[in-house]
Amino acid sequence: MATLIVGVGECKVSNKNGDKIRALTLGSCVSVIAFDPKNHVAGILNIALPDSSINKKRVTEHPGMFANTGIPLLLRMMTKSGYDGKSELIIKLAGGSTILDSNQTFNIGKRNILAARKALHTVNLKPEAEDVSDNYSRTVSIDVVTGIVIVSSPGKGQWDL
Amino acid sequence: MGSMNVKQMVEQRIGDMEVLPNVVMKLLSFTDDDDHSLKDVVAVIQNDPSLTTSVLRVANSAAYAPRTAVTTLSRAIVMLGEKMVTGIAIGSCLSHMYNDSLDGYESVKGEFWNHSLRSAIAAKQISGYALKDIQGDFAFTAGLLHDIGKSVISDFLIGSSEMLRNWLESGQVEDFIQAERNLLGTDHAEVGYAISVKWGLPEILCDVIKYHHQPGQAPEEERGVLYTVHLGDMVAQLGGSGTGSDNLAYKIDENYKDYINIDERNLDLVFLQVQDEFWGIKSEIFSSDRN
Repeated sequence: MATLIVGVGECKVSNKNGDKIRALTLGSCVSVIAFDPKNHVAGILNIALPDSSINKKRVTEHPGMFANTGIPLLLRMMTKSGYDGKSELIIKLAGGSTILDSNQTFNIGKRNILAARKALHTVNLKPEAEDVSDNYSRTVSIDVVTGIVIVSSPGKGQWDL
Repeated sequence: MGSMNVKQMVEQRIGDMEVLPNVVMKLLSFTDDDDHSLKDVVAVIQNDPSLTTSVLRVANSAAYAPRTAVTTLSRAIVMLGEKMVTGIAIGSCLSHMYNDSLDGYESVKGEFWNHSLRSAIAAKQISGYALKDIQGDFAFTAGLLHDIGKSVISDFLIGSSEMLRNWLESGQVEDFIQAERNLLGTDHAEVGYAISVKWGLPEILCDVIKYHHQPGQAPEEERGVLYTVHLGDMVAQLGGSGTGSDNLAYKIDENYKDYINIDERNLDLVFLQVQDEFWGIKSEIFSSDRN
């Protein structure tokens, strides 16, 4: 039984009974949370930026950093841990926070959300639930056995997603 | 408890704070002074055996991976740069402050340091996009110190996070600075400024701390570096290194465009560079035996 912490640009997957996977204090990063209820495989990908074209070298080192290369990584890791590629895969999104910027340059959160949805769409997946945007940070976790996803934020408490 | 009472208590707390260690003060004075040599920096650090050990340890760490062991301070300083050496001195000598939890912000141990370090790295990166020349090393040091007021004000905010967040969401206040001011009669920027004056920091560093959420109110000649730190702070918060309940609860001053020329693509590159540098050095400074 362990809690796997997912850092920025990382992807963690587990099929172990009792494990939890957690991404801490998401700002503009978007966590893509995947759960296979049939085989009890869960994963969190923590996307930092929308597109890998800004630095292709980094794709080899940290594919999870970008939405377009991170989603295929998440699916590969889920498959390696027992997801059969055919049964239901529940996807949820959390994060993508914004900061008040009237000219939108700093709205990386919104660009990450749109890029995550687009990358999911290309592999025929769609988020079942989302807790995204707004101007507060989030910590998100998933229980590998139950698939229950909990979001929390300082000063706001915690809730199910 | 009236707000004047709280303000007086905050002032008393600042008055009771220890003076800034001389070694840090001396290194900070170099950030605003080009007229010093490597020999001067070595002379300051070698008087502090613990700091000397920390500097050599970081220089020999995996993050820098020297081909041969670094055994002299002068080589270590050249390798790390004065910016990093000043950062090590601040992190090491003020670890009791930076490595503590900020309970009033519901921020756990380590987050304050991570936020300060990420802000410093981001400010240095953003200084590269400034319309007027800004020293990256100075932006780094200013970014490291910008939030020191939180270390004092935090205790007076304990138990109020939910209420302050509700004020923000209901539109009662515009940002967390105003929320702090409404509750306490002061805010972390004003408190940080008072600390910096007590410590006798260079005037421009005091002003960065005072105006980092209102850079447009700073004297015109200081605004370039103010906007650099202002945006560095925002990049740190967006990158997930905030200090708890106030994270992302601030406004970007859109007039930054008059001082900093950065578009979405370059901002993405800054995020990537900040992440790389942060991973490389975040653990090194604080693995000192002073903790």
